[in-house]
Amino acid sequence: MSSQDSARPQAARRLKSWGTLAVFAVLILFAFRATKFNLPALFTGAADFFRFFGRMAPDFTALPQIWSPLLQTIQIAYVATVVGSLIAIPLIFLASANTAIDPISMWVARTLLTVLRSIPDLLWAALFVAVLGLGALPGVVALTLFSIGVLAKLGSETVESIDPGPLEALRAVGAGRNRTIVFAVVPQVAATMVSFILYVFEINVRASVVIGFVGAGGIGVLLQRYLNFFDYTGLGALIVVIFLVVLLIDGFSVWARSRLI
Amino acid sequence: MVKTLQTPPTDIPRAPASVRRNRSLLIIGAALLVALFVLALVTMNLPTWSRVLSGLQRNAMPLLRGLVRPETSVFELAWNSMVTTFFMAILGTILGAVLAFPMSFLAAGNLLGGTRWALPGKAVLVAVRTFPEIVLAVIFVAAAGPGPTAGIMAMGIHSIGYLGKVFSDVIEGIDQGPMEAIRAAGGNQLHTFLFAVVPQVLPEFASNVLYRFEINLRSAAVLGMVGAGGIGLPLIQRLQFRRWAEVSMFIIVIVVFIIVVDAISSNIRRRLV
Amino acid sequence: MAHIEFENVEVIYKTGLKALKGVSLQVPQGQFVVVVGLSGAGKSTLIRTVNNLVAPSTGHVTVAGTNVTAARGQALRRARSDIGMIFQTFNLVKRSSVIRNVLAGRLGDLPAWRGVLGAFPREDLAYAHDCLRRVGIPEKAYVRADALSGGQQQRVGIARALAQRPTVMLADEPVASLDPPTSHAVMSDLKRIAREDGITTLVNLHFIDMARDYADRIIGMRDGLVVFDGTPDEATDAAFEDIYGRPIDDKDLRGV
Repeated sequence: MSSQDSARPQAARRLKSWGTLAVFAVLILFAFRATKFNLPALFTGAADFFRFFGRMAPDFTALPQIWSPLLQTIQIAYVATVVGSLIAIPLIFLASANTAIDPISMWVARTLLTVLRSIPDLLWAALFVAVLGLGALPGVVALTLFSIGVLAKLGSETVESIDPGPLEALRAVGAGRNRTIVFAVVPQVAATMVSFILYVFEINVRASVVIGFVGAGGIGVLLQRYLNFFDYTGLGALIVVIFLVVLLIDGFSVWARSRLI
Repeated sequence: MVKTLQTPPTDIPRAPASVRRNRSLLIIGAALLVALFVLALVTMNLPTWSRVLSGLQRNAMPLLRGLVRPETSVFELAWNSMVTTFFMAILGTILGAVLAFPMSFLAAGNLLGGTRWALPGKAVLVAVRTFPEIVLAVIFVAAAGPGPTAGIMAMGIHSIGYLGKVFSDVIEGIDQGPMEAIRAAGGNQLHTFLFAVVPQVLPEFASNVLYRFEINLRSAAVLGMVGAGGIGLPLIQRLQFRRWAEVSMFIIVIVVFIIVVDAISSNIRRRLV
Repeated sequence: MAHIEFENVEVIYKTGLKALKGVSLQVPQGQFVVVVGLSGAGKSTLIRTVNNLVAPSTGHVTVAGTNVTAARGQALRRARSDIGMIFQTFNLVKRSSVIRNVLAGRLGDLPAWRGVLGAFPREDLAYAHDCLRRVGIPEKAYVRADALSGGQQQRVGIARALAQRPTVMLADEPVASLDPPTSHAVMSDLKRIAREDGITTLVNLHFIDMARDYADRIIGMRDGLVVFDGTPDEATDAAFEDIYGRPIDDKDLRGV
């Protein structure tokens, strides 16, 4: 291999990496200007931040108030995950190239799912609170729609990557689309889909904690109340409880997912 | 027309015990999930149908009307806020990545000599991950004043929880071979790190940072609702005043922006790994 | 009337490649036909036109009087349910049990709802087990399909095709990925079952000795055209060299 041969691709590679670095630097510069990111404030802010933490020594006398909203948080996440999964499944098959019915419905399904996925969960919640009023219902609806978006993207990527052989075999048998999906597609993707559903449940629990901030029910309402009343010790207790719950659910989810593979 | 079989039914051999057990477990599991679902619905304190319908009547029509006819006069405001949001997400992600990088080494078992030495590091990362980002944002707003700085710091700190975990997972998954080779050739810790660890982990790090950026872009869009800068504040103000046409414009800007950024990011990520 | 009739079938792929250039054939009921030729000669395309997995650009294929090429939707599925197919890569659902794979063969004959819910009538379940018995692996019914050896997996494929109660069987290089003893076992099983049930069979093979061993009739293809059509006796080495357009070598023989 002559040195000339290796020089050109080497030069191209070096150019690419320097180029990327340059783009990066420009981006960061713009970012600093646009957001007026105040670096010194970061340090004074950090000091204040730690002071806040000091004040948040948990006061567990507030505990009894916490259970009911906490339960509601989990219920919201659970219901949203279940309903979202049920609705997502037919949409996934509509949106995947190898199980779609026709190009138009596939395109419609894909666009719909992309939009669903691109709206932040808290924004969904705020939107539905404005339409449906305060409480758990807007939260459930919002997280359901959000779940459909997330699940459908993951699911459709999985469905499109399966072995096409069994699909061809079932076409040759004379089985229609739905039967083919049940016999040839589902067994290949079922374990992965359940894993995704558990993942979505995890995300929903975290989201559900927060949507109360915009009035969509759950423990977020308490969070906001404590913040507004500067009840930092209560806040500390709340955060510890949230921490334990999320830890539990994450642990359960990881355990269940490991059993599937 | 269907072809049915008229063969005399021969013996159907019984399914082995394990298969039957799995079938029953599946049925019990499904029944449990359904029961929990019904329970959750019933006890969740949902409003009555009539309240829902009246709320829908009052708001749904104006909302839909606003959605189909977005208010173009606010486009510039929406666009500029979204651009600020975009830059917030960039800085927040970079901050998080920079801080997560050293943290990840403290949480990687194979670098510390065993998983148990990595446990405190992992625990810290979990704690940071679990702390609700929005509470972080509120605290930073109180500490550093309202505006994008608070949001950037909140996203930065929160991202450490995720990026730190992902980074440490990647480190734990690397091939020991190059590490051993360099040590055998006489290199010290630094050499090992630079020439055996970094090249293996860099592409996957970068891919995960991009993914985190996609998520942070969405967070940045909403953190403004508590005053942490970005498009969240003007959006929620308009939501609260039910200015549906303007809300619609904002949502369109947000969605399109996110879709485009997601597409570019997925493209880059695919080429990295 | 012949059981399978190819009427001037031409297949031109979207890339412009002419895979079949005007093939006309008649296959009587119950005949065991082996199609030979090099890769790219059109063998795979030819047998896939029989169940319309590949649609002819001109011409048509008739099976038992039904124009398969013109059939659509329900009618096409009807026709396909009478045509069984086995594949070089077996095409089993790896994670499903063997019996579930075989039952998939019944899907074309049962109402859709039964298939979707997996509610197979007792007779169909019994018949599926019967098919497994006929291919010699009844004890594997509840084993996961990918836990079987290659030869066993192909037998499941045959059982699945049998479960359709087919009048036609198509086999696309069924033994290419199996070792010699297993290949012969599978081919002889296929021939035995075809003879017992009077199934008209088209098999793609690229092993000359196997073609001679099992075929009632050999069809040789080259460049999308039929260049040989005769009995195994007529298929001399010289004839094969003509089909292949080159001298034969060891790779063209299966051995024992």
